[in-house]
Amino acid sequence: MTIKTSFLNMNLKNPLVLSAGILGVSASTMIRAYNCGAAAVTTKSISITPRQGHKNPTVIAYEKGLMNAVGLSNPGIGAFTEEIKKIRQKNIPLILNTIGKTPQEMAQVAKKGEQAGAGIIELNPSCPNVTHEKPYASDPKLLKELITTVKKRIKIPVIVKLSPNVENIKEIAKSAEQAGADGITAINTVGPGMLIDIAAKKPVLDFKTGGISGPAIRPIAVRCVYDIYETVKIPIIGTGGITSANDAIEMMMAGATLAGIGSAIYYHDISIFKKIAEDMEKWLKQNNYKSVEELIGAAHV
Amino acid sequence: MCEKKKQQHSCVLERKRNTLNDQPFRRLKDYPVGVKITDIITETHDTKTFILDKPIDAKPGQFVMVWIPRIDEKPFTITKSGKHLAITVKKKGKATSAMHSMKKGDILGIRGPYGNGTFDLEKKKKIILAGGGYGTLGLALLLEEATKKNIKVDAIIGADTQKNIIFTDRFKKLGARVTITTDDGTEGKKGFATEALEEKLNARKYDAIYTCGPEIMMRYVLKLGMKYGVEVQASLERWMKCGFGICGGCALDPSGLRVCKDGPVFKTDILKDIEGFGATTRDKSGAKVQWKDMN
Repeated sequence: MTIKTSFLNMNLKNPLVLSAGILGVSASTMIRAYNCGAAAVTTKSISITPRQGHKNPTVIAYEKGLMNAVGLSNPGIGAFTEEIKKIRQKNIPLILNTIGKTPQEMAQVAKKGEQAGAGIIELNPSCPNVTHEKPYASDPKLLKELITTVKKRIKIPVIVKLSPNVENIKEIAKSAEQAGADGITAINTVGPGMLIDIAAKKPVLDFKTGGISGPAIRPIAVRCVYDIYETVKIPIIGTGGITSANDAIEMMMAGATLAGIGSAIYYHDISIFKKIAEDMEKWLKQNNYKSVEELIGAAHV
Repeated sequence: MCEKKKQQHSCVLERKRNTLNDQPFRRLKDYPVGVKITDIITETHDTKTFILDKPIDAKPGQFVMVWIPRIDEKPFTITKSGKHLAITVKKKGKATSAMHSMKKGDILGIRGPYGNGTFDLEKKKKIILAGGGYGTLGLALLLEEATKKNIKVDAIIGADTQKNIIFTDRFKKLGARVTITTDDGTEGKKGFATEALEEKLNARKYDAIYTCGPEIMMRYVLKLGMKYGVEVQASLERWMKCGFGICGGCALDPSGLRVCKDGPVFKTDILKDIEGFGATTRDKSGAKVQWKDMN
């Protein structure tokens, strides 16, 4: 029995990947996540120039999940190149999440990331915490333009992170595939949502609204991955509320090749990767699987 | 090689910790809850203590995230634990200025306490504290705890000038033997807190040095601790967003240890390997910057 797998150009020790937006500001935390069991790591969203993000409170946890409006703070691809190099030196499979105002800007970030040693580019056209100039994540035409622009500039695979906050995710996924995307990550945070403090009589997040992640959104993520798997042939990273091996197995059965882990670090800290990998291995053995890859899309048969 | 070992170690540590407060969810909520300010005490010309209508059971070194509605949210060390949480705040920027203009009955949002790496007093009989500037605030709870345990405490309270010396009376009342230093000699010994610390280390044997202050000062304290073979425990400060270990903003290089969750207090074994300790930190965007360029 093996839990080794592969995703596009990456050979991985297990199907668990650190999702974008959690820990990925510096090489040190991503290396730590890898040492704690993640097979691949995704950086925070990186832009062409530094972004300060929103004011605090930016990240909070409520009873059923997390809500954030970090506002895509990052040091910019210039400074971040050093962090990418440090990760590459350790041969850790690295996915660079990129943002930009225009397709050209995202392509520029992707190019620099590729030069620094990123293995895969993940486009993030779907963050709910900033006002995108154009609705790339919900307009199939714009999404196609974005993907083709980036694909033209680089050789490494390009995957795109989709938002659940659309009417028809199948249609969006189809157009991503048609535009040449090599894979899909689903889902970005849900919402946005809002919480109000009744003593202060104010929304708690400074940006007022924030994207919701964690256990609350897992059923939505599973449904989206299930729908996307039915529609496209390109591989999927399923992420959203996975906190246990059962959750990861469920996500893979819905159609994911890899399971993205993010908010679970809040609930169980970084060692959750190792725990999930070990528990998955046990479960697969008990249920007579030969490879973890047999799980992919198993719920569709 | 050595570095990899250490990271695995930090992972093991974490797993041990997890088994203590595991499954299914560590905490049900981590968002600011508005509480009333019940009292405000003026400590110095620019520093006030806010007593809040919130009980808290905090360990020395822990902090709370304080939300100033509509303005910002920032981490503050806890200066009083028990029935009423207290935080002590120097007027510095927009957020702290807003706090200073608040009155009794006004609302601040609190979440926490945070920090798993706290000051460790186990098996200590005689200790010395070294507080630099407003870092002294971060040692107050520790001193209370040490007093309860009948540990002998020498304390150095340092500042640039007399008017910025803080908590002297409180420290004396708690039974610490206090030495004051000012850079300009307006009160106590003229010179740096670290100079007074070296004198003390020369004269006596201590089980540990506890420090909180500007990082460049703590770097020197670490040096002294290593020179005299005394364990150092330092409380660090970094730009924080979540406070509970997921945003990654406060992580140290190269270990990836997070000041908010793995710290904020670290001992000699960790401190000596921090890349750029006393020289660099990360700003709000995550970019590496010199400490002197912050503020």
